[in-house]
Amino acid sequence: MVSYDPRRLVGTLVEETSLLARGAESELRLGRFYGRKAVFKLRLPKPYMDPALDSKLRRVRTIREAKVIAAALEGGVPAPRLYMVLPSAGLIVMEYVEGPQLKEVLWRGSLDPGRAGYEAGVILGRLHSLGIVHGDPTTSNYIVSGRGLILIDYGLSEFSTSIEDRAVDVHLFKRAVESTHAGIVGELYGGFLDGYRESMGDPARGVLERVEEIELRGRYVEERRKSVWRM
Amino acid sequence: MATAATPSSSDERSRVIALGIESTAHTFGVAVVSDKPPYILSDARGHYRPSKGGILPREVAQYFSQVAGSVVREALSKAGVSMDDVDLIAVALGPGMGPALRIGATVARALSSKYSKPLYSVNHGVAHIEIARFLTGLRDPLVIYVSGGTTTIASYLEGRYRVFGETLDIALGNLQDTFAREIGIAPPYIVGGRHVIDICAEGGRFIEELPYVVKGQDVSYSGLLTAAVRLVKKGWRRADVCYTLREIAYSSVVEVAERGLAHTGKKEVVLTGGVAASKLLNEKVEAMTKSHNARFKPIPPKYAGDNGVMIALTGILAFKSGVPPIPPEDAIIRQRWRLDRVDIPWYPMILGD
Repeated sequence: MVSYDPRRLVGTLVEETSLLARGAESELRLGRFYGRKAVFKLRLPKPYMDPALDSKLRRVRTIREAKVIAAALEGGVPAPRLYMVLPSAGLIVMEYVEGPQLKEVLWRGSLDPGRAGYEAGVILGRLHSLGIVHGDPTTSNYIVSGRGLILIDYGLSEFSTSIEDRAVDVHLFKRAVESTHAGIVGELYGGFLDGYRESMGDPARGVLERVEEIELRGRYVEERRKSVWRM
Repeated sequence: MATAATPSSSDERSRVIALGIESTAHTFGVAVVSDKPPYILSDARGHYRPSKGGILPREVAQYFSQVAGSVVREALSKAGVSMDDVDLIAVALGPGMGPALRIGATVARALSSKYSKPLYSVNHGVAHIEIARFLTGLRDPLVIYVSGGTTTIASYLEGRYRVFGETLDIALGNLQDTFAREIGIAPPYIVGGRHVIDICAEGGRFIEELPYVVKGQDVSYSGLLTAAVRLVKKGWRRADVCYTLREIAYSSVVEVAERGLAHTGKKEVVLTGGVAASKLLNEKVEAMTKSHNARFKPIPPKYAGDNGVMIALTGILAFKSGVPPIPPEDAIIRQRWRLDRVDIPWYPMILGD
């Protein structure tokens, strides 16, 4: 049986870190793990939930995210390397990926949009081939690092091979491109589609057909997401 | 644009008086509201309560047509005004149940034509938001709108209330009512001011067996309903199932609101709609809001549910911001009228400015 109190362990591990960002779901802290720069992603207790429900959700979500990252890495998707997982504490320790967001690099114009899009498409296609959907594949979640583009933040990821879920991912990327990179939509999204088709193979066609359907269907859903996420 | 178009009549006269008519669901509400203190001059309501089962739209409409006349008269006499004193009529034309909506629309058209009063079409959901802003004084909140037919997280952006998240299937109030009915503890759904689920949940403990479904910005309740009914039928302790169902249902909508708060960066939160009368839900929203350093103010339970006040109030805002009235013959009901289809030119203004 476990002979330590996980919260105390997390306490000593997390102590030396500094806050990078706080989202709705978790805190991201930057620290060191056995000498390496590391990100500590800590799902915080929610004060409004029954403690039993809260700890169950944190445990389940932490395990799911860690499994997704492990499966992605194993399948050759450039993702942050996993260092440690402590489900009962809601903690994942992973590699700190150094580099600017793809979004910023494109704004600066220091990367060819067609090439960048192509690489981003190859990565998402590979992830989908592994039976994983990302959930938030925007140009903010691709990091331009020393070892190429790296896709981060698997907090909303799921194991899924459904055409709908895959199409939503592609659609999310397209929408992010349209709202954040209006001047280079053609090159960036065009390159993305080439890369996605190449790494996905035949299944890509069904997914891309569904993307068009999503755009035509329920215009209000389209409108609402665009409007809120753009902020 | 919004303020420049203020009608000159509001300058010449001391105040604007609106008659509001609500008939989207089980409440036939008529209220008289003024743009000057004490604002709410009267608030008359007739509630349809089924003796067994759920709400049947046809029966509601029948009840509404019986009480409509007396509710209108009560609203006017309690306010101490006559139709001549009324400057405008506001009516909720949707969303809601067709047969019920038609009664309110018919009454509004008749009054507008007979007394030559301008008629304003009001979206019921928008009205729930406006009354919450008015009662709390919070001007730019993230809105949690929960009722029998709606579970929506919304906030204002660029001219409209935008839906950030919502239920993918049934609404929160519908979940509670249907569950209570299925396990035989309702109707009545409200006993001594409390929902029967709250009474049933007393002494209950959290059980692991029920599904918690949040997908991105949306919640889903249909799987929870089915699973909970099944557990009760299999003989699980009723208090535990009631407690857990409520805990999951409330927590998931508050979690979506939490994501909405993080993404929109709003600093204020309001809770509105029939389920906003729940004390526990208010506590949960307050705890969430505090942990993000945002402000929350509850609204009195009396104004959480459907009422004519919110319709009249929204009509006044539309009137004062220069929204044109509609000809009575165009007062056509819209059963699925989404709140994010309505322009909100009055947003910078709340009643009392």
